[in-house]
Amino acid sequence: MNKPGNFETRRRARRITEQAAAWYLEQQDNPSQRQQAAFLTWLRASPAHVAEYLAIAQMHGDMKAAAAIDTMSMMELAEQVRRETPVVAFPRVMPQAPDNKQAAGSRRYTVWRFAAAAALIVLGLFGAWRLWNPAEGAVQQRYATGQGDVREVNLPDGSLVHLAQNSVIDVHFDALARRIDVVRGNALFDVGKDPKRPMFVGVGGHVLQDIGTVFDVQRGADGDTLTVISGRVRVWKASDVWIGKIRAYVGDSQTSSDAVADLVAGQELRLSAAGTTGSIRAATIAKATEWMPTDIRFQHETIGQVARRFNAYTTTPLVIEDPQLAGLRISGVFHADNPESFVAYLATFPGVSVVRDRDRVRIVAASEVGRTAHR
Amino acid sequence: MHDRHKGWSALFAEKSATLSNYFLRRVSHRWDAQDLVQEVYLRLLRIEPSDAANIRNPEAYLFTVAANLVKEHAVMRQQLPLGSDGLEEVLEQWSTPCEAAAGVDRELRRQRLGTLIKKLSPKCRAVLVMHYRDELSYREIAEKLAISPNMVKKYIVKGLAACRQRMADYE
Repeated sequence: MNKPGNFETRRRARRITEQAAAWYLEQQDNPSQRQQAAFLTWLRASPAHVAEYLAIAQMHGDMKAAAAIDTMSMMELAEQVRRETPVVAFPRVMPQAPDNKQAAGSRRYTVWRFAAAAALIVLGLFGAWRLWNPAEGAVQQRYATGQGDVREVNLPDGSLVHLAQNSVIDVHFDALARRIDVVRGNALFDVGKDPKRPMFVGVGGHVLQDIGTVFDVQRGADGDTLTVISGRVRVWKASDVWIGKIRAYVGDSQTSSDAVADLVAGQELRLSAAGTTGSIRAATIAKATEWMPTDIRFQHETIGQVARRFNAYTTTPLVIEDPQLAGLRISGVFHADNPESFVAYLATFPGVSVVRDRDRVRIVAASEVGRTAHR
Repeated sequence: MHDRHKGWSALFAEKSATLSNYFLRRVSHRWDAQDLVQEVYLRLLRIEPSDAANIRNPEAYLFTVAANLVKEHAVMRQQLPLGSDGLEEVLEQWSTPCEAAAGVDRELRRQRLGTLIKKLSPKCRAVLVMHYRDELSYREIAEKLAISPNMVKKYIVKGLAACRQRMADYE
């Protein structure tokens, strides 16, 4: 049927197949009258369209059973996709990769990146931040919300980002670092732990370095506001962070004197577009998170996931240390401003204890508490 | 009439394997399947522009025309008792004598399709498996893979098309 020699024929056949598949999916999404008319026009354009449409419909009947044969878990599948995603093409500024025979794979890439960074110093390109801008094609994914739309984004590194209405963030992760730019609006970050890849959040003229944290970023015409809900955040000027990173490559550790400011839970900082900062002041968490939903609704979510959603609202985050409890699936609704009610709920589980530390609330297996006490 | 279209469309999706078995088994057979497509196509062409606007669900219309043609064809060959009505009966008539063989065909086809899915690019494979096996929505898949729901749809289309093209190589 397919003559391998005839490339053009094959290409055309493939296009028809893709159109048929696209129309087939469209049919399942409540197509508008206009789309339906376009679909009929497409069908009438060629008997090949009709044949292909019927064939796709037939194959579709087998898809569920066929897909069920695949034994890879969703996590493995997602991991495979992540590994396949091309890393940010930073070495664009480099003429050639250094020829280093023993450097293979990711190590070679590290060398490249170092060399690229060094080249940047030499060239004095401290506007390096710009090189990573969307225009350069470095963005891996953009998330946006419209009017009246609040959204939660789960990123593959385990980070959870809440987006307020009319907000835009650009996410780009590579093998060495995770970066998110808050382009517009208001976003609250609950950063997943990944010691190998630090997280940097770009806010206009500033870069925030997260150190295991939940924080809120609000962009505005008259300047930006950073509110740290739990954990710590270090603020850099956009250009300085690159100097810091480069030093880290060279082996010189970053010193806090390079940073503009260090914030801890419950603190707030105004950042101006020009890259200057105001003074650190006590934050009103309720005000910083007033755009967030007032209820936390969950259906068949693990307790670990639900706890993280509460952590967007409280300076003393919940840490579920009992893995069995963390994996338990629950459904319900809680008031977001009352994490205590959730803690009280968790305490009702048999064999679960609540340990209150200064900066966090730990939910542990009761047997663990006993063991610690005996030691 | 509209309801009936809808019913047939659903039935077709559900029984399409059987319908195609009908086509395939009658291949000397492939001629019949191609004739059928030709005939469906001609009927689509014969729709007056004014009537075209009234077809609210072209997919259901297409399946209905196809089912009717299968039926007419069978009647012409006197292989089906006159007076039978609807796709269900057509399918019933044609699948019953050979149910066991149909099952084997289907199993083989699914195995092949499953193997093809595993050979797709990681993105196409992930979206197809998550969508069809795990029944996730575009949005849910989008969040798992950190791509947009629109891209998820594109990858499903791409994946389906790739599978279909390679399945065609088997035919």
